[in-house]
Amino acid sequence: MSNKLQEVVRKQTKQQLKPTETDDVLQLVSFVVGEEEYAIPILTIQEIIKPIEHTRVPRTPAHVLGVFNLRGSVIPLIDLRIKFGVPMTNKSEDMRYIVLKDGNDTAGFVIDRLNQAMRIRKKNIDPAPEATSGNKSLIDGVGKQDDKIITILRVSKLLERDF
Amino acid sequence: MDEFQEILQDFLVEAFELIEQLDQDLVELENRPNDLELLNRIFRVAHTVKGSSSFLNFDVLTELTHHMEDVLNKARKDELKMTPEVMDVVLPSIDMMKGILKQIKNTGTDQDGIKIHDIVQKLDLISKGEDLSAGNKTAPSTKNSQKTPDAKSSGSEKTPVGGEKKESKEYVNDLADEPERDYSSMSESEVEAEIERLIQKKAQADRNRRQQKAQVSESGIEKGQSADDVDINVSADEKDSDIPVQHTKPAIQKAVATTEEKSKAIEKSDKAGDDPQKAGSNVEQTIRVDVKRLDHLMNLIGELVLGKNRLMKINDDVEERYEGEEFLEELNQVVSMISLVTTDLQIAVMKTRMLPIGKVFNKFPRMIRDLSRELNKKIELEIEGEETELDKSIVEEIGDPLVHIVRNSCDHGIETPEIRTQKGKVEGGKITLKAYNEGNHIVVQITDDGKGLNTAFLKQKSVEKGVISQKEADNMSDKEAYALIFKPGFSTAAKVTNVSGRGVGMDVVKTNIEKLNGIIDIESEVDVYTTIKLKIPLTLAIIQALLVGVQEEYYAIPLASVLETVRITQDEIYTVENRQVLRLRDEVLSLVYLADIFDVKRVFEGYDHTYVVVLGLAESKIGVIVDSLVGQEEIVIKNLGEYLKGMDGIAGATIRGDGGVTLIVDVAAIMHMAKGIKSQPMTTSETKGSKTKSSPSDYTVMIVDDSKTDRKIMRSALNPLNVNIIEASDGVDALTKLKSGEFDVDGMLVDIEMPRMDGYTLATEIRKYNKYKSLPLIAVTSRNSKSDRMRGVEAGMNEYITKPYSAEYIANVVKRNIGLE
Repeated sequence: MSNKLQEVVRKQTKQQLKPTETDDVLQLVSFVVGEEEYAIPILTIQEIIKPIEHTRVPRTPAHVLGVFNLRGSVIPLIDLRIKFGVPMTNKSEDMRYIVLKDGNDTAGFVIDRLNQAMRIRKKNIDPAPEATSGNKSLIDGVGKQDDKIITILRVSKLLERDF
Repeated sequence: MDEFQEILQDFLVEAFELIEQLDQDLVELENRPNDLELLNRIFRVAHTVKGSSSFLNFDVLTELTHHMEDVLNKARKDELKMTPEVMDVVLPSIDMMKGILKQIKNTGTDQDGIKIHDIVQKLDLISKGEDLSAGNKTAPSTKNSQKTPDAKSSGSEKTPVGGEKKESKEYVNDLADEPERDYSSMSESEVEAEIERLIQKKAQADRNRRQQKAQVSESGIEKGQSADDVDINVSADEKDSDIPVQHTKPAIQKAVATTEEKSKAIEKSDKAGDDPQKAGSNVEQTIRVDVKRLDHLMNLIGELVLGKNRLMKINDDVEERYEGEEFLEELNQVVSMISLVTTDLQIAVMKTRMLPIGKVFNKFPRMIRDLSRELNKKIELEIEGEETELDKSIVEEIGDPLVHIVRNSCDHGIETPEIRTQKGKVEGGKITLKAYNEGNHIVVQITDDGKGLNTAFLKQKSVEKGVISQKEADNMSDKEAYALIFKPGFSTAAKVTNVSGRGVGMDVVKTNIEKLNGIIDIESEVDVYTTIKLKIPLTLAIIQALLVGVQEEYYAIPLASVLETVRITQDEIYTVENRQVLRLRDEVLSLVYLADIFDVKRVFEGYDHTYVVVLGLAESKIGVIVDSLVGQEEIVIKNLGEYLKGMDGIAGATIRGDGGVTLIVDVAAIMHMAKGIKSQPMTTSETKGSKTKSSPSDYTVMIVDDSKTDRKIMRSALNPLNVNIIEASDGVDALTKLKSGEFDVDGMLVDIEMPRMDGYTLATEIRKYNKYKSLPLIAVTSRNSKSDRMRGVEAGMNEYITKPYSAEYIANVVKRNIGLE
């Protein structure tokens, strides 16, 4: 009996140990803005919602669309297409708001299309190209996956007021 | 360590509470230096602070309070007379004590910064020097009978916790016979055990006392028995002790002894007979709650209010749709009940956050006393309505402005006794502080019977200082001239003194009151009086707001700042020096378009009529032009978050009944912004004229129908007109296309029965936009009953075509409606 029990315990600890492996794997969600594919760490995403009505806030730059009501919280809405200077495509069914959270900062971002959730090994992530590196950059790193590369965005920078 | 922190916190809270009362008592003491009751109270504060601080190892504080205690103790025993000279040493030492306490609060230590050496020496001198002349022990026998009324007039009666406090004092006394132990050398568990023991002991003593008390109140006049109780009652009332374990040393016993000797026992025992009863009826059950919890509760109520608003909106919609149905009655009842309860709940929670304004007023007697000595004036202070309550956050904000106003009144308002006698006034000036409720506001009124505000002088000074131009000065009304005192850099004082004259104080007043959405009103008569009225909303979190429409956007303006709204025609607006003004009764009001401030695109032409919302804040007024007034609503202020924090002109946002977000106007900010905006008058039809329509292909007609066949039929009917045609498959689709702005639609053919959004709803939705107020909407339907037509008209349809129809007919109707000839 106790042997069995021990085995169970051993199994459980084994399972618990497993996640340590995932430590060097980064879970990301990728999405499309314009033609380009970007990714952000999954843990920074509070939620992803379909577009809802928003209210314009005066005296803000063009990429700040305004604020919207997310179940009682007033949250800023930023259009990544305008921020990244991508030509505006027409509204499509695939458009989403990604609500990101970093500490106390929360904001919603308009993206063209959601792509997928993915895991990338940390060793497959290169730092941002030198010209854009440093903490000031929006780009956290570049992930390599199979045959394509993907830009990983720095969420803290996205949520920083830029005007 | 945590335990220590907890004790420290308790100590600080208690110490600050004690000190608050202290200032008032000290000033009172100067008037009645023989009042033993007052002396005892003051002595106890010093003593308590000393005891606690030595326990907490604050050596500097301990030393200071120890010396204060010496002096006060002498005074208490009548070995020392409290002359103004002595007070001039004692008062600063109290200030220093406050300083050290603040330092402890901020830094956790009393070791650096504040030097107590000088004051300690002075205190020492007093206690030693007066020692020699001591011996005069003839206490007035009337002392005791004075005690109770005296204590009351000093303002202490407003806290009806007498009974409770007395009891708490007794706890202390119970432990007075405890030897002083070296707690710092004990381990934590030892300390705990010690505390446990003391608490038990205290409980035991407490029980005994209660029994004893009961006996006393029964037997009443028996002197000997009651003496013990009486002394405690006499000497104890300001002690609000939360810490059961006090280091109260035999000093209290001394106090007991001295009073015993001097007092007339019969009077005392009479009192003892009364007191227990009083205590019984007056005991107020209180509980100390972390402000954060109250804030959280307030937030939750805010959410509830939003939910209620939403529910009421839905109720209205349902009522419209299912008119006459039975279940409506029930729904109505539930909704109104929830609405009522929510309001009550909100008020109840608001009340828990309310503090009496007396908390702020308390510091003024001392301040006036100091100022009048400093300025060699005789000033009397009268306080009314100190029990008026307002929100804690407001109480905190209102202190500074009041200090500045009162200082100003002392320095500039009240004249010196010589001048006053010359003017034929009584020698002593009087300043009245008064607080009272007025609707949803609280009014704090500061009146002095000094020299009043001389408008000519004010104008001349401001022109000299370059605050205003001569021309502006000439056109100023009296009220506007009074408002000059709030301009930064303005001061009428000939020289800068310690008290005032730097020209910042009143600016602080203005800023703080603006922050609270308050209004300042000044009245004055030269050589008679000056009254400054501060009108402040009761609470900040949930407010009443006026919703206004600007083009297609809505904004909420705090109702507290709205003085009135007026409907005017365009030609009532005059332009003076590039600014637009409105003549409102006998005043000239400068105007600003809300659209200009918030860069709202002017899409539609101006109407003949427009609305002006007159805003008043602090001392200034402005008229804001809006397109429509939507109504009044209770709103909950939410901030815009880190990202959009501090946007000019926006105080926050709120969530409306329909779930949309509406921005709240920051009245103070738009008043500043208005100055920088040069607005051009709204020209009628500036946008429409820009694009002339010459050929039929410049016109666009939208066909909204869920049936593809129907759309095809209509399209073919309109083909001969050669206009552009776009199609939408239902109401939602049509609305999206219309709102996208891609098409400049001149008219719409709308089917009534469609999925997702029907024709009526679509028409109602479209008419919500000012831009499309006059867009021709033509209903095309097989419903042809009279009520259907009525509904169509109500929803905003211009024409009503019933199926089947001839191609020619429909083409003609469209042609006529879009104005194609």
